[in-house]
Amino acid sequence: MLIFNLAWRNVFRHTRRSIITAIAISVGLSAMVFMDTMMNGVDKMAQQNIIDYETGNLVIFAKGYYREEGFFPIDTIIENPQSLINQLKTIAGIKAIVPRVKFQSHISNGIDEISVLVIGIDKADEAKVFKTPKAVVKGSFLQNSDELLIGEFLARDLNLTIGSPLTVIARNRYGTYDAQDFIVTGIINTGHPLLDRNAVLIPIEAAQNLLAIENGVTELAIKSQSNNLTELKAAISQKLGEEYEVYTWRELNASIFEISGMKRAFQFLLALVVVIIAAVGIVNTMLMAVMERVTEIGTLKALGFSNGKILKMFLWEGTIIGGFGSLIGSLFGWLGSLYLVIYGIDLSGRFKDINIVYPIKFIIKGEINYPMMLFIFVFGFCISILVTLLTVRRVTRLEPISALRHL
Amino acid sequence: MVEVRNLHKDYKVGKVLFPALRGIDLQIEDGEFTAMVGPSGSGKTTLLNIIGCLDSPTKGEVFFDRINTNQLSSKEKARLRQEKIGFIFQTFNLIPVLTAYENVELPLLLLNLSSPERKRRILAMLEEVGLSDFINRRPNEMSGGQQQRIAIARALVKKPNIVLADEPTANLDSNTARDILALMKELNQRHKTTFLFSTHDRLVMEYATRVINLRDGKVVGDTNTNRISNKT
Repeated sequence: MLIFNLAWRNVFRHTRRSIITAIAISVGLSAMVFMDTMMNGVDKMAQQNIIDYETGNLVIFAKGYYREEGFFPIDTIIENPQSLINQLKTIAGIKAIVPRVKFQSHISNGIDEISVLVIGIDKADEAKVFKTPKAVVKGSFLQNSDELLIGEFLARDLNLTIGSPLTVIARNRYGTYDAQDFIVTGIINTGHPLLDRNAVLIPIEAAQNLLAIENGVTELAIKSQSNNLTELKAAISQKLGEEYEVYTWRELNASIFEISGMKRAFQFLLALVVVIIAAVGIVNTMLMAVMERVTEIGTLKALGFSNGKILKMFLWEGTIIGGFGSLIGSLFGWLGSLYLVIYGIDLSGRFKDINIVYPIKFIIKGEINYPMMLFIFVFGFCISILVTLLTVRRVTRLEPISALRHL
Repeated sequence: MVEVRNLHKDYKVGKVLFPALRGIDLQIEDGEFTAMVGPSGSGKTTLLNIIGCLDSPTKGEVFFDRINTNQLSSKEKARLRQEKIGFIFQTFNLIPVLTAYENVELPLLLLNLSSPERKRRILAMLEEVGLSDFINRRPNEMSGGQQQRIAIARALVKKPNIVLADEPTANLDSNTARDILALMKELNQRHKTTFLFSTHDRLVMEYATRVINLRDGKVVGDTNTNRISNKT
């Protein structure tokens, strides 16, 4: 208690200096907490957007399709989707299955012609797996076979609005080009750049007609009842045999999550640098505290204080400042994170003209990872104690007379 | 009680050795009120520091109650200082963040005395040094004389065998110095605590029962009020 009492008083010997040091630590730690929350939020949003708009929980392709998915091979398709759907009905854990037809195509508004992804969707059942119908921000969802949904940014780039005509030009299964006119009936904003900037959605029967693939589809998207997809994937694979391939949404987007991991590591490193700078602040404060009190250390030694007791006193000082800084840092990091969770950060103004690959909306919402927050708090605490120890150890070992003679 | 045998201390400055003590032999008996006098550089402070286990000799031995302090570890020396030695410094050396009461309490806390016992001793000691009304003052709220009284209280409160005072009156005006010396003498007589102090102050002759004269690291005179023995 004596040692703590002395340490406590010493912390307030230079209140301003102690507060500035604690603030330096807290800024570093709150940046770490905030960064973590933001990255968690971004990841969660990306995952949700992929599941909600792009893949569902699982996707079934005809064997060999995925290897060439980038080329949208329409000769490797699922020819009889209904029979597959009927077979899969017996598997527990599947909530819904919808077919999709994806192909690369050109669209033209009469002036410009650009290459986009065309997705043929099942008007009636799309909502069972995807949230596309809810993403219509203008106009309405598809009802007739000549209607088309377009992403908000693509519509803006092509000067399209509700009722605008648009021609889709595609090469069919037999290598012949075919074109069909559509009317823009709805404009969607999903937050997924693939759909908002590079794709149009048309009824599946229109897509099948354009590609001359009859009832064929390029994929079957599955919504599962739980997030544990390993067993479900195995069950489906077993049921369908080797002619089909099943992938989870994560497997299909491995590269995106690899980028995410790298981004997270880099940003954490950046925050770590801030904490290290704060640690240098502690070193500075403790060094000043020790150097201006060497004679006092000598006095304490003369009174009978052992080296250990004096070291403990300084460690308490570092702990009080570091603990206070870590606490305030975690608190502010948490408050900032709460803001991110509730309100998010609106980046739409900044990014409206930039095409990003990451499937997120421009309002980034956070996701708090409490174990990580605890780790960051403990990390700040420990680093304060460690740098204090390294800084003051040598001085506390001085011979009493050397300390007393110090000026 | 304190015996010094053939004590040598050399300081090395660069490559040059400066002998501060050159073979001191001394015996300090219990209850003495002894002053060490001599010009600057005569070795007074060095001798006090070695007796107080704050410094180590180059050669020779110091026996504290028959314990050879050369053979003690730094932890054992700390314990010896904690239990048996009180220090009074020229610059008072009070802990600035603590009140007068807390400064006096510091050595008692190290002895793990109970709170009522500590309180009883501190209040009695502060009464003896005449600063009962200053218990909540911090050092910077007191005069030099008052600070030195607190330092004396801090040195004596744990009932040490010996109090070592290095130039205790050097930073005080003559009136205050006289008061401090009178107080130390009074406490020496009341508690039978041994006092050994270094000083330049001529006033000390009025109070000391024994005066040891040092010059160039040697004892050149040892004067007792009853017996005068010049070793020159």
